[in-house]
Amino acid sequence: MSRQSKTLVITEEGNYVHFNLSGDWLLKVDSIEALGLWESYIEDRGHLISKCKFFLHPSSRWDSSLLLFLFRAENEIQEIGAELDFTNLPPKVNKMLGFAKERISKKTSGLPEFFEDLTPWVEQISSSLIQVSTFWGKWLLSVGKLFLGKSFMRFGDLLLACRDCGVLALPIVTLISFLTGLTMAFVGSVQLEKFNATIYVADLVCLAMVREMGPLMVAIVMAGRTGAAFAAELGSMKIREEIDSLRTFGVPAIDFLVLPRTIALFLMTPLLTLYADVVGILGGLAVGSQVMEFSTLHYFEQTQSALTNMWEIYSGLLKSLAFGLIIGLVGCYKGMFTGNNSSSLGKSVTSSVVISITLIVVCDAFFEICFSFLGYR
Amino acid sequence: MNPNLESQSVLKVRNLELRYGSRMVLHEVSFDVANGSCVVVMGESGCGKSTLLKSMTGLLKPNMGNVEFGDSLLWGDTPHPNDEVLTEFGVLFQGGALWSSMNLLENISLPLETFSRLSRSEIESMAAYKLSLVGLSGCEFLYPSELSGGMQKRAGLARALAMDPGILFLDEPSAGLDPVNSRQLDELILELKDSLGITFIVITHELNSIFTISDHAIFLSSHSKTILDSGRPLDLIDQSAFADVRKFLLREQK
Repeated sequence: MSRQSKTLVITEEGNYVHFNLSGDWLLKVDSIEALGLWESYIEDRGHLISKCKFFLHPSSRWDSSLLLFLFRAENEIQEIGAELDFTNLPPKVNKMLGFAKERISKKTSGLPEFFEDLTPWVEQISSSLIQVSTFWGKWLLSVGKLFLGKSFMRFGDLLLACRDCGVLALPIVTLISFLTGLTMAFVGSVQLEKFNATIYVADLVCLAMVREMGPLMVAIVMAGRTGAAFAAELGSMKIREEIDSLRTFGVPAIDFLVLPRTIALFLMTPLLTLYADVVGILGGLAVGSQVMEFSTLHYFEQTQSALTNMWEIYSGLLKSLAFGLIIGLVGCYKGMFTGNNSSSLGKSVTSSVVISITLIVVCDAFFEICFSFLGYR
Repeated sequence: MNPNLESQSVLKVRNLELRYGSRMVLHEVSFDVANGSCVVVMGESGCGKSTLLKSMTGLLKPNMGNVEFGDSLLWGDTPHPNDEVLTEFGVLFQGGALWSSMNLLENISLPLETFSRLSRSEIESMAAYKLSLVGLSGCEFLYPSELSGGMQKRAGLARALAMDPGILFLDEPSAGLDPVNSRQLDELILELKDSLGITFIVITHELNSIFTISDHAIFLSSHSKTILDSGRPLDLIDQSAFADVRKFLLREQK
């Protein structure tokens, strides 16, 4: 059945103003015209109304949009101080108006006052600092319990987590670190050519990989891949009350969920870094041997001479241990303290990646500054 | 079903057959729903109640059979249901299924913004009005996570009512509610049915609800995978030819 537009005809008969409604007063029908007429009449002649009646054409179809109009009309007519008569409307309309009116409480809540709602910054920051330090403290206690053999952590979970963040990450780490080594070799060769010292590209790639790029690239991949997964996994467990159910059994969620994940990352990140170092050097070799035409042996000898002591590699691995811990803890913390709805889960995952990467870069700078001051560089 | 009401059937389910893979869930399910009535679909857990609901609300295409609404069919040749028919349906999911990132006003406004021709201010008034219908006026700016289970259900009902549907499907409306809240929800359903003339199809196994709200009950059997018996629930208690139905309604063990 086609829908007819909402129509309002206003007639003045004696003391009464008659509002005749016809057409289809349905949600899916435009009401601009009828409402415009109503508004202009109330504005121009509203003050003249003393009594008014409402009629609905028998063939009209109606739904809540009619009720909405009648509510509005009632309010505006009452504001004018005129008398209002709905008795000519179908009984069902009146019944529904009464049904809704009974339930509309007078209490109106406006838009939430944003600035009132915001607790002072200091309070917010201090409470989140307390939350972070409590989490960190509980984690340390849980590690302590692990060494005393009293932890609830299951060894199988640790192995699974190691597989997830170690072995399964190999393809992406391979690709990223190979391309990093390759890019550095290209960029370096252009500069070194000016001094006729292109063979030092091997030193450049090797030192940059083991000291800086290896740990950093692996950490960034891990933050985006594994840290985000931890946050999402634990966050959805939190929303589905799985973490609460662990607590009711007396199993600390930190032992059961956080510990295997963080330990796995702590162990796997250095291993992946070592692997990334090697693959990065091979990336440099690809450029050195194929583009710059050094012999493979020559390139390797030059690489070996650059690594004057093993500290170069150890310093990178030391960093990656810290990075692994940061990613694991941030991911799990964000997951464990997710709010109760789906949008907060999204925020948790995003912020776990952002915070991890920020902390990784800060931590990297801190390490380098310390190494320099302590004379290890 | 009452033959007088046959002519006023608003929804007809015809020979519905549903399978998950090779497992038969429902077959030869046919019934009519009279305009303005409340039909309860009951049965033990696993008898296919929720599957039937999914198929009637356009979420799961039946392997055979169809659902007729007025002159239109819900399922055509494509895997998608007829959207025209779906806009006449309102669904209240078991947990309310409110969109958690939006407050109640936004939850109810979204369907109105999408399908109605109302202005922004009208939409807001309409959403506030629908909330008042379920007794939640004043809660417009609360988020679903700030509501109790009963309030979430009622807010879900308000959202299902947003577009003034002709038929409302309720999936276990009283599940997880305390007796008082569950009773209030039943009363609300009755009031909405009487005053708005909405047709209700309710999936439930809550006996109190069944006796309070339903005009007609359909009993699905988990053994025969089809409708075992149907009629007025109070009549079914002692007149049903099937022991399973009588026992279910009397809460007796098999």
